[in-house]
Amino acid sequence: MNRLALPLVLLFSGCAGLKSLDVSSMSGGRLQSVDFAKVAKGVNQLRKGFADISESEEHFIGRAVAAQVLTRYRPLNDPGLNAYAQKVAQAVALASDRPATFKGYHVQILDTSEVNAFAAPGGFLFVTKGLLQLVKSEDELAGVLAHEVAHVAKKHGLKTIQTSRLTSAFTTLGSEAAKSYTPQQVSQLTTAFEGAVEDVVNKLVVNGYSRDKEYEADEFAAQYAKAANYDPGALKTFLARLDKFQGDSGGMFKTHPPAAKREVELGTQSPSSAYKRSSERGRRFSAAVQL
Amino acid sequence: MKFRFLLVLAALALTAAAAYSSTITVLVQETALRKRAQSYAPSVGTARLGQKFESSGLEAGFHKTPSGYVHSSAVTERKVRLGSADSVGGGASAEEVTLAGKGFNAQVEKSYGDKSAVNFSAVNAMERRTASESELFAFLRAGGLLPEGGAK
Repeated sequence: MNRLALPLVLLFSGCAGLKSLDVSSMSGGRLQSVDFAKVAKGVNQLRKGFADISESEEHFIGRAVAAQVLTRYRPLNDPGLNAYAQKVAQAVALASDRPATFKGYHVQILDTSEVNAFAAPGGFLFVTKGLLQLVKSEDELAGVLAHEVAHVAKKHGLKTIQTSRLTSAFTTLGSEAAKSYTPQQVSQLTTAFEGAVEDVVNKLVVNGYSRDKEYEADEFAAQYAKAANYDPGALKTFLARLDKFQGDSGGMFKTHPPAAKREVELGTQSPSSAYKRSSERGRRFSAAVQL
Repeated sequence: MKFRFLLVLAALALTAAAAYSSTITVLVQETALRKRAQSYAPSVGTARLGQKFESSGLEAGFHKTPSGYVHSSAVTERKVRLGSADSVGGGASAEEVTLAGKGFNAQVEKSYGDKSAVNFSAVNAMERRTASESELFAFLRAGGLLPEGGAK
């Protein structure tokens, strides 16, 4: 088998799309199939870090982070406004490099005067009433929501989870082959889960992401807004207004880099060739955002 | 004989390299299969969690399948080995964990919810809020946001 495996690997190493090959007829039944990834790596390895968090696990982490956010802040009960923000968010998410998360993107406006916006893993987006009072057009709102979509698409939340918590969870899964977990295993997984959620919540609400991640989210927000045929420069217009805002120093002012610095980092943004001004966007924004 | 065997393999390698083809597996609950490799193209069907398709290549971030175009971020090209939760064990990949519903799942969330006084009912309400494709495209069209050739 080894004598055959080596030339096979060498021959097929240049074929990007080929991962396995049935060679039983050519090898007289000595080989049934060759899994090239396994031959090259030796063994299939356990999951190790944030990049190995599955789509469904990201969804459940996101739900718990969202639950924490919605326990700290009251959701705004304005069906029209929430539905409007939902459509704008879906518009920019569709134009992003991650248009589909495990269960999609969902928006909730928070009933607080604090100026802030959050994104929980998996696609749970939050914008405060205080921030909406500073937004003056649908294109600006699209820029703000695109920034949050970028945090999800680039998995910034998951990257804040301490590896030790994931190692613990992955090890518990690794020793388990039954359909349901035992109470002890659920307890171990819950402890790791609780820690992971706490890591993300602390980063979102208390400490904020690193400046690099915020600038990266701004850069991709402009790209997504442009691809959605919104004006990508509207985010910069909003940041300029945010910079002049004289009010609460908490919320976004505490967790994000200074707006003026973000403006500089963002640079000049030009709309796509398909960009069109629209009186309808102005009309529906004014109708929905009455705060 | 040995030479002929290697010759056949070499010919196979060249053919395989020319005709890219791989099996992809859907990793999200559901996502659109689109008429063209474009986010704003109309959907021609729905791809659901665990469904497999043959991809004949990537175009602008979309896999081309016989059933339509599916965005690459919603699928994996990696080999997924299981069909049920029973076989998830030591070396499970992230993809296999998703398909088996293991790892951090509803069972763990329930345990977490029992320990922490957090508002999952508000999250459930948030998750129910979504715009259908027809609502979204009507919104985009009315706002002058649909690119040329989109949603036709």
